[in-house]
Parts: sequence; C-alpha cells; structure tokens
Amino acid sequence: MRFRAPGEQEAQERAWAVVRRAYEEREPVAWPRRHVRPLAAAALVAVVAAAALSPPGRSVVHSLRKAVGVEQAEPALFSLPTHGDLLVTSRKGLWLVHRDGSKRLLGRYRDATFSPHGLFVAATRVNQLVALDTKGNVRWTLARPAPSRPVWSGTRTDTRITYLSRGQLRMVAGDGTGDHAIARRRAAVPDTAAIRRRGGQSEVLDRGRVVFRGTGSFEQAVRSPDGRWLLVTWPTADQWVFVRPGTPRRIVGASRISVQFGGFPRVQGWCCAR
Amino acid sequence: MAGSGRDERAWVRRAQAGSASDFEALFRAHWGPAYRAAYLVVRDAAAAEDIAQEGFLAAIRALDRFDRRRPFGPWLHRIVVNRAIDWARARALRPEAEQVDAPAPERAERDEELLAELGRLSPEHRAVIVLRYLLEYTPGEIAELLELPRGTVNSRLRRGLDTLKERL
Repeated sequence: MRFRAPGEQEAQERAWAVVRRAYEEREPVAWPRRHVRPLAAAALVAVVAAAALSPPGRSVVHSLRKAVGVEQAEPALFSLPTHGDLLVTSRKGLWLVHRDGSKRLLGRYRDATFSPHGLFVAATRVNQLVALDTKGNVRWTLARPAPSRPVWSGTRTDTRITYLSRGQLRMVAGDGTGDHAIARRRAAVPDTAAIRRRGGQSEVLDRGRVVFRGTGSFEQAVRSPDGRWLLVTWPTADQWVFVRPGTPRRIVGASRISVQFGGFPRVQGWCCAR
Repeated sequence: MAGSGRDERAWVRRAQAGSASDFEALFRAHWGPAYRAAYLVVRDAAAAEDIAQEGFLAAIRALDRFDRRRPFGPWLHRIVVNRAIDWARARALRPEAEQVDAPAPERAERDEELLAELGRLSPEHRAVIVLRYLLEYTPGEIAELLELPRGTVNSRLRRGLDTLKERL
C-alpha cells in the first residue's frame, strides 16, 4: 500500500524537536559486559534513590519541582475548590477525596467510576468487577477476566455499568445482574479538556483557548461537576492545579501530591454537584 | 525507508553511546512507518503523532537496555500499535468525541474508500491489517508483536479482509 498519512512531514519535525530534547537529556550508560548490567543498574537505582532520599537530594528534587510548578501552591491538598468528590487511583489503590480535603482509601482497585449520583463506585481488580459504597463496603462482585475502564451511567432507578474484559465490551445492570456482551458503549467518560504538548511544554485548551500552560507533561485535565473548574494533573511538578477558566481566571495549586496518595494518582471521576 | 540490518545495528550501537546524529538516523528511518501505522489504527493525525512520539520516547528510556542483536523496527512498532489500539478502544467508548481527519486531497479516490472502510473495522482488526499490509510483517511476526496466538492473527486478518471485500 503506497500511503502517506496526513501531515506526516510536519508531524515528524514537531516530534523530532521533542524526541531530540529527550535524547539529549538522557545520560548514556556504557556497560563493558552484558552480565554486569543488572547489578550495576540496581546499584545505580540505589544510589539515585539514596541521593533523592538524602536531605540534599530531597532538596534538589523539591527545588526542581518547585521551579516547574505554579507559584504559591499550597504545600498539600487541603480542599477542593468546588462541590463534588474526586475518585483517584494510585499505586496504593483507589481513593475517595472529599471537598474538605479528607480522603479515604477504598482498597486495592485499578480503574473506577462513580454511579450517576455519586452514591456508589464500580471498580476493577485483576479478575473482578466490584461495586462499593463510598465507605468502601463491597455491595457485589462479578468475576470476569481482566476487567477495565468501567463507566456507570443511567438514572437513579435504572443504571448500568459498561466495561471492557479482554477486549470485549460488556454491560451489567447496576445491581450486578444481567451481564452480557454489547457492541457499543453509550455512557460518557469523565469530562476532560484537551491537553496539547509543544516542545517541552504542555497546554490545556478549553473551548479552543489556552487556559493553562506549564513545563513538562500534564497527564489529565478533568472538568468539575459544575463545569466551572478544571483539575490539571501535573506529574512533572508533582502538583494538582485547579484552573477556573472564566474571568477573572483563578489558579489554585496543591503540591506534594505523590506523598499524599502513595504515588502520583490518576483521576477516575469527579462527582457530583450535590 | 529503514536502513539495512547492519546500518540499523550500527545506529543503535552509536546512539547508545551518545551519538545524536545516529539517533536521528534511527528516528528518520522509522518515523514514517510508525506514524502511518498509528494513523491507520486511530484515524486521527494528532493522536497518531502523539502515539508515534511516545513510542520514540519509550525507545529512548529503554535505549541502554536494548538488545542490539534484535531489530529495532518490530520493537518500536509493537509499542506504537499497542498504544494505538488502546487509544482507538478508548475513543470507541466516547462516540460523542469521534472525529476523523479529512483525507489528503491528492489521494486517489479508491484509496480514500479503502482507508474509510479500514477505519470502520475494530481497532484489533485494523491493527493486524496495518501490520501485515503496510508494515509487511508475517502473521507469525504479528502474533509475536501483539502477543496473540497465531490462529487469532490469521482469523483477524481473514475477517478483516472479508469485511473490506464485502464493503468495497
């Protein structure tokens, strides 16, 4: 097939600018013998970890992140700027974060979704889809191979959860009954704004307008239930930045996110404007 | 075009040692196939650019560990195509956000039709057809790249081609 994709050359030049910078920033490691690698790599990791954990090392890491992140960010996540609870996952598992900043570890789950009114949560384990209340009590479980990306939609009286299992799209009623394969998902995933990378910077676009820009990579830009705020997750700065795109624009940052969640978390949902 | 196996091994070896020009040769040789493969699976130029770029960034992160005896292309294509399948699946869950790039104006009408129909296949079927007929991997190589049984690759190829034939 003689085929050229649209914008191939321009895309190549843009990508090369990013890839070249990443290549230049790497530190090549020349190992004389192949079998030495594992030990040497482990030693390197240990040295880097020790350096990062030592007071001067921590200070350097902190300074770098501070240089990248928004100024005058709160030293921790003390509260959310608007109504609703956040559902996030980190290495430690699934967390529910309330507006007042309090949070609860619901358990070791991978992906998760709120029920339409935020009263329950559907989450996935290695081979299980699980429905929980917001205190982490299990309401029902469904054994399925490698479930992922659950989305819970519907009304108060008739809800359904769609999810993927080994590449197959499936649907189960909100009470855990009637699980079956379907062709297409109708529900919506968390409402997100667009993230664009340009060189070493990332930008958040809301309705085509850049509303926030920073160094490194943004991971997600998730809209609040009332639609007024965007939560920008920024691993490079180890920050969450809440941006209100309206006039006047407001920016509220929270630092040291990884420490608070046991790894940099991924937002699974923000619900509901109760 | 990708270089010969010997060229490629030399580029990888020197890129591992810090030669930016050899890394650029590797990038230029593999960007086109990686971007086209991603584009044909996701049918979105911006996403394809991100996916191919991420593939190269992953390559940089793993460059020092890369086994020079193995070819670079299949390793890169495996990352790119798997990411493209994930992206296409995620978009299939968000039909309201679906957006398909307009084909390039100079492309022949028949090609446009073929590409449009290819875009209607599932991401899994699209991926094996792209790997087989664009990147020219054998079914056995595709099975290895995507960690699928050989029979699954053959059946996806067969079904994908049958569907295309019916629709065209």
